[in-house]
Order: sequence, then structure tokens, then C-alpha cells
Amino acid sequence: MQAVDAVPTKPRTFARFALAIGLVLIALWLSLILQAPFDNPFWFFFALAVIVSTWLGGRGPGWLVVGISSAAALYYFIPPYRAWSLKPADIPFFATFVGCQVVANWLISWRREAEDSLRRAQDELEAQVEERTIELKNANEALLDRIEEQKRTEEALQVARAELARVARITTIGELTASIAHEVNQPLAAVVANADACVAWLARQSPNLVEARAAAERATQGATRASEVIVRIRSLITKATPEKTRVQINEIISDTVALAEGQASRNGVAIDTDLATDLPPALGDSIQLQQVILNLLMNGIEAMTGASDKARRLVIRSSVPAAGQIGVSVEDSGIGVSPETMPRLFEPFFTTRSKGMGMGLPISRSIIEAHGGKLWAESTPGQGSTFQFTLPTADGVAG
Amino acid sequence: MKEAEPIVFVIDDDRMVREGLQSLIKSIGLRVETFASAPEFLAAKRPEAPACIVLDVRMPGISGLDLQTKLGDEKIEIPIIFITGHGDIPMSVRAMKEGAHEFLTKPVRGQDLLDAVQKAIDSDRGLRKERAELNEIRTRFDSLTPREKEVLELVVGGLLNKQVADELGMSELTVKTHRAHVMEKTKAESLAHLVRMTERLKNAPHK
Repeated sequence: MQAVDAVPTKPRTFARFALAIGLVLIALWLSLILQAPFDNPFWFFFALAVIVSTWLGGRGPGWLVVGISSAAALYYFIPPYRAWSLKPADIPFFATFVGCQVVANWLISWRREAEDSLRRAQDELEAQVEERTIELKNANEALLDRIEEQKRTEEALQVARAELARVARITTIGELTASIAHEVNQPLAAVVANADACVAWLARQSPNLVEARAAAERATQGATRASEVIVRIRSLITKATPEKTRVQINEIISDTVALAEGQASRNGVAIDTDLATDLPPALGDSIQLQQVILNLLMNGIEAMTGASDKARRLVIRSSVPAAGQIGVSVEDSGIGVSPETMPRLFEPFFTTRSKGMGMGLPISRSIIEAHGGKLWAESTPGQGSTFQFTLPTADGVAG
Repeated sequence: MKEAEPIVFVIDDDRMVREGLQSLIKSIGLRVETFASAPEFLAAKRPEAPACIVLDVRMPGISGLDLQTKLGDEKIEIPIIFITGHGDIPMSVRAMKEGAHEFLTKPVRGQDLLDAVQKAIDSDRGLRKERAELNEIRTRFDSLTPREKEVLELVVGGLLNKQVADELGMSELTVKTHRAHVMEKTKAESLAHLVRMTERLKNAPHK
């Protein structure tokens, strides 16, 4: 600031002094003109010159005007005129004139400086305010940037989570491959057997159209069943963004049980369903909910594979535990979960299986929590475990 | 004796497959009975006739392989044609070792299955005939007295009557009488025939 202002100070100083000299010369000129027609000297213009030049030019030019006007008064307006001498009787008069000039100069410059310093203080304050405002603006922008970044991160997290869920689904499907192959192959076997039978009935010497037609119809049913299985599996594998709609939990359970049944029977497990008849709809993503249920069923089947001598029974239930809530539980008669393992059950990458990824339960829990529900486990070691979750109904408590 | 009508037992938990196989086998004029599970089959009364079992390997509860073992334990010898969706090697080895007649993979070509069924029934027919003959021989041999059995043992071993008499401490005449009884009771046409029957009985699995 100082460096910048230092440059224009000089011309300004010169202008100030030039103005002072100009003013005092005008005052002198007017006084000289008015001296001729009047007796009394009209030197009040000098006072004006002091006031104006001090106000506009400052203390220095004021002093200059005081000096010049005092000299001019002495020379021109105090007898003897046009001489530098001063009679003793005129001394008080002259001294008063000079004193008045000095006081005027002093008062005006003092007032002027006070005003200047006030203005400077104001300017400084204004500059400070300006500076702070800029800082605040910068901080604000940084904050906005960070909020934007966080939003992007959250979006990326959302995408990553959905992808992870999909990978987990595909992994589960991978574990199911053998039973899915069976699931598809079974109806195909029915198609082939029935089609062959149909041909055989037609190829007889006296074709049996009744038998042939029945066989052809069964072949069609088999083909329909095979395609249904494929639709179910494809819906689990496709990359769909979670979409919440009104869903019937019982339907999701039945679909999922159909998917897991092959795996269950392969392991000698019977799946029983016990579904509440008047279950209200829930609001949710049916694929994700299917994934959770499939995961719980697969875990249950797995848990019972270790139990050799007991009846292998998996029960899946739906219920209305409280108004506005839907409950689903999967109960197995497997080996159970030890108290030491229990708290770690929902930790990512924690697994008791050799082939498990350890993501099934954490993902299931995050899905259920994203739906506004809860997922938890209870277990009696040696007797089996129950995994259950709740979901809010689509219509809230009133529904 | 007129042979009973052959029968095929189809055991598969899948209704549509079961009905398809039933229809297919029926189309060549064979009698078919279907069962949805192993226990259902075990509980049913089986007619005395040449038969074979068409069995799904994978079923809930008692699997096809378990049923095979069970039938083996109970000495129920009906040829088994396995059908499996995923014929892994250890499984088929186990099945064949335990005497499976055939191991087919799903989906089965109709003609393959019908050929296998036909072969299995023929084989069962032969086995049944064999078993019936063996039972007949066993009945005849069972009717021998302990003394006659001793004589039989030594005669079949290649001893002469005199040597047998010495061995058992009896007269040669007595040996001759016993020997005649043996030949008569077992309906042996010659010594060679008697030896063959004895061998067959010895090699046969115990009832």
C-alpha cells in the first residue's frame, strides 16, 4: 500500500503548494484592487486563502500562505506602504493578524488531520472487512468442493456396494451351480423322455394318439419349467440398480426356496415353509431381498452338512411380529454357532467355510438395513441357529 | 411254466420325468410301475417276474446309490439302470462296482434307455432262471441224509467206492447203496453231472 501511494505523493505535494501560492496571489491581487477605492485594507482574503489552502493542501501549504500573506501585509498594507518597515504602534495590529492566521492554520489542519485519520481508519477497516469476506468466500468454496467430493464418494460407494452385492450373488450362484445344472437338466430330461415317448406312441403300428398327446403336453410343461428356472437365475445375475417397489415377501420366499431346493436335496436337507397368510406388502428391491433369503438358506444348508446324525430340517417362516413390520426367519437344526464366533458373524471376510468369501452376512445385513429393517442371529450350539430379519411394511404402521 | 409278464420299476422324485419314462417304456409294451422315492419302492409288493429298476441317482432322503446298497443288503437282485444329471466318475464307479447294470446321463436318449431296459430284463430273466435252477439243486441236495452227504463229498472228490468204504469205516456195499440214493435224489445223470452240480452249488452265493 505504502509503496503504491509513495509515487503519487510528489505531484500531489507540488499541486498543494501550487494551489496555496495561487490562492495567496489571488488574495493579494483582490486586496490590492480593493485598496485603491477604500481606506481600510481588505486583507481578509488572506484569511480565506489560509483556510482554503490548509483545508485542501494541509499544514505545509498553510504555513506557506501564512508566511507570504504576513509578508504581503507588512509590505503592502501596513504603512508605510511598499516598505518592510513597521511602526511600533502597528505591531499589535500586525501580530494579531499573524496570530489569527496561525490559529486558523492550526485549527484547520488539526481538524483536517483528524478527519484524515478517521478516513484512514475507516479505509483500513473496510479493507479488513474486504479481506475477511474474501477469506470467508474461499472457505465457503472449499467447503462446497468438499461436500461435492463427499457426494461423489458416496455415489461411488453406492455403486461399489451394489457391485459387491452382485458379485456376492454370483458367488452364491456359483456355489449353486451343480444344483442349478440339475434344476435345468431335470425338466430337460422330462422334455426328452416325453418327446421320445410321444414319437414312440406315434410310431406304433396303430398310433396311440391319447398317449402321444399326453406325452407332448408333458414335454411342453418341462420346457416351460426349464425356462422359468433360467429366468429366476438371470434375474439374480443381471446388473440392476436397486429399485424399491411393493413386494410380496411370501412370493420372494417361494421363488428363493425353489432355487435352493436342489442344493438342499443334494445335501439331504428338507426345506419347510411356514408362511403367514395375510402378510402385508413390503417396500423393497426384490432381487436384493431374494439374495438375502438365498444367503440365509445356503448358510443353513451348509450348517447342517456338518451335523451327521440329526434330522436335517430347514424352516423358513414369515410373520407379522408387530404392526407395520414383516418378519422372516430361517431356522436350521445344524451345529449352531459358538458364543465366541457369534459376535464376529457379521464381520466382513469372516468365514468358517473353506470356500466362503465371508461377505454373505455383512452384505445381507447392509441390504436389510438399507431397507430400514434389522437382521440378527440366535443360536444354541449343537442345536441349530435362527437367522431373522424384519422389514417395515410398504404402508407403515397403519397398513 | 409260463413266464410272468416283465415289469420295469421307475423311481424318480420328479413327476414329469417319471411320467415321461413311464410313457416311453410303456410304448414298447412293457409293464411299468412308478415310485416317487426309495422308501415308497421298498414298501411296495413286487410281483415275481423278470424286472429292472430305472433309478434316479439324486433324490431327497434316500438317494439312488443308498437304495442300491440297501437292496444289496437285502439280497434283492434286480438289475439297476441309473440315471444321473451329473455323472461324476467316483459316483459311477461306486454304482458299477456294486453291480449297476447301466449308468446313463440325463437327459437320456429314449432308444438308449429302451435298449438298456431290454438288456436288463433279459439279463434278469437269465439270472432268475439260474437262481431257480440253483434253488432246485439246493432243494435236492438238502434232502440228503448226513451219511449220504459224507459219501457225496468223497465220491465227488474222486475216491473209488472201496476207498470211500475204508474212509468212512463201512462196507463197500453200503457205500454203493448210499451212492445210488444220492444219484437218485439229486437226479444226477452221471458222475460228471453230479460233480458239476456240486461245483455250481459251491460257487453260488449263499441264499
